[in-house]
Amino acid sequence: MKIPKFWVRKKQTSQQPPSRRKKPKKPIKPLSRWHPRVRQMTDSGVIAVSVLLCLFLLPTRFPGMELLGIGANWLLIWVVAWSVKRSALQGAFAGIILGLLQDAMTSPQPTHALSLGLVGFLIGLFQKQRFIQEDFISIALIVFLMAILSDTIFALQMIAMNIASSDVVWAYYKKVTLASAILSSLWAPVVYYPLNRWWQQLKLAEQSS
Amino acid sequence: MFTARRWWERFGLQLSLLVLVVGGTLVVRQTQGELLVELYDGITRPFEVFHKQPNQEAYLKDAKVQELQAKIVELESQNKNLKALLKYVEKEPKNLPTIPARVVGRSADNWWQQVTLNRGSLRGVKEGYIVKAEGGLVGLIDSVTSNTSRVLLISDMNSRVGVNISRTGAKGILRGDGSADAILEFYEKVPNAKPGDVVSTSTYSSKFPSGVPIGKIKSLDLKRLPASVAIIELFPPIRSLDWVTVNAKPKNPAPKK
Repeated sequence: MKIPKFWVRKKQTSQQPPSRRKKPKKPIKPLSRWHPRVRQMTDSGVIAVSVLLCLFLLPTRFPGMELLGIGANWLLIWVVAWSVKRSALQGAFAGIILGLLQDAMTSPQPTHALSLGLVGFLIGLFQKQRFIQEDFISIALIVFLMAILSDTIFALQMIAMNIASSDVVWAYYKKVTLASAILSSLWAPVVYYPLNRWWQQLKLAEQSS
Repeated sequence: MFTARRWWERFGLQLSLLVLVVGGTLVVRQTQGELLVELYDGITRPFEVFHKQPNQEAYLKDAKVQELQAKIVELESQNKNLKALLKYVEKEPKNLPTIPARVVGRSADNWWQQVTLNRGSLRGVKEGYIVKAEGGLVGLIDSVTSNTSRVLLISDMNSRVGVNISRTGAKGILRGDGSADAILEFYEKVPNAKPGDVVSTSTYSSKFPSGVPIGKIKSLDLKRLPASVAIIELFPPIRSLDWVTVNAKPKNPAPKK
């Protein structure tokens, strides 16, 4: 695991206030010496910025980010990264909030809050320590399954709200689900790794201080 | 009392934060993400230079030729009608303003076929305006902020466009299925149409101006119930839209005596 070095430095430069940019060499020690309030605020800043970044990645299609014209579901990846180490309720609320934000970016009906909220709730519910090892493969697998689940829920919502006839929805569902699930699971580490690392460091700092 | 206060001290901050975030999100949702889209536009504006240049000139030329052919077919059939009815009423008023715009974002979810344009109400774009590209009709303006606007493409599953076959006048409804092709449901059981026929917007359509080319028939399924269905190949490159024009909504003028 040589890659972490790169990520740590990148995060330190981008997410710390400019006054702290001088000392990127020791990323852990300063964090535990921070005032708890400052730490909390930085954490909220990281959360807000990462959510905003995921939100703005949704409508952009850089080369390699789409498969058959279908993009990755960045908000789903974020919800998975968030709820892997949290309780079911926290996961559900994060999912609902991000779902509402996605509604704002597309169209409010049918809502995305239901599918993302359920995804957050389910991941929070698992006994993760037993089944899931904290590596990229299992995260990618979770994202894959959850992408299928959320697309299924969304398709059912569309049929229930009578937006399109069921055969049209299912024909489209077949096309969209697999591509979206594969792409999301491949991009999952990009979101998961830095966020997870940050929260890990934060936890360590809180315990030591 | 004491326990309630203890409880409040412990969870009060979290609870109020949660209420604040949920409230904020609801406001964002209610305003259709105006703040978010504006911010997105502000961020992506400097990068617009790096967007891919129109390297598909051949394709565009081809699309242009197809559009012209479609227009000729439409004009021929219209001309015939004109000769038949000497008192023809011009339906589409001339000199409607057109606003050129560029696509800066695709749909933020795989289920909707939307694009975001970099022109908004400050440039005169309004809800319900028609969006065209090289080749013909592309969609309808769905929501507008001051510097951006969101287009519902005709390839979306929600989109319904009243169309007719330019050659024969057979009528139907075009709906998208999320791909570069669309589905035409005819009103008649045995429509007067064959593969290769050009499809354009119908004169009965209240949302769209009449006679805008859309695509041509790729294949026909006459056995489908309750009505026949055709697969339409759309002329405009829906998957790789770059520049589009926004046209004002057609007003159906009262027929002059």
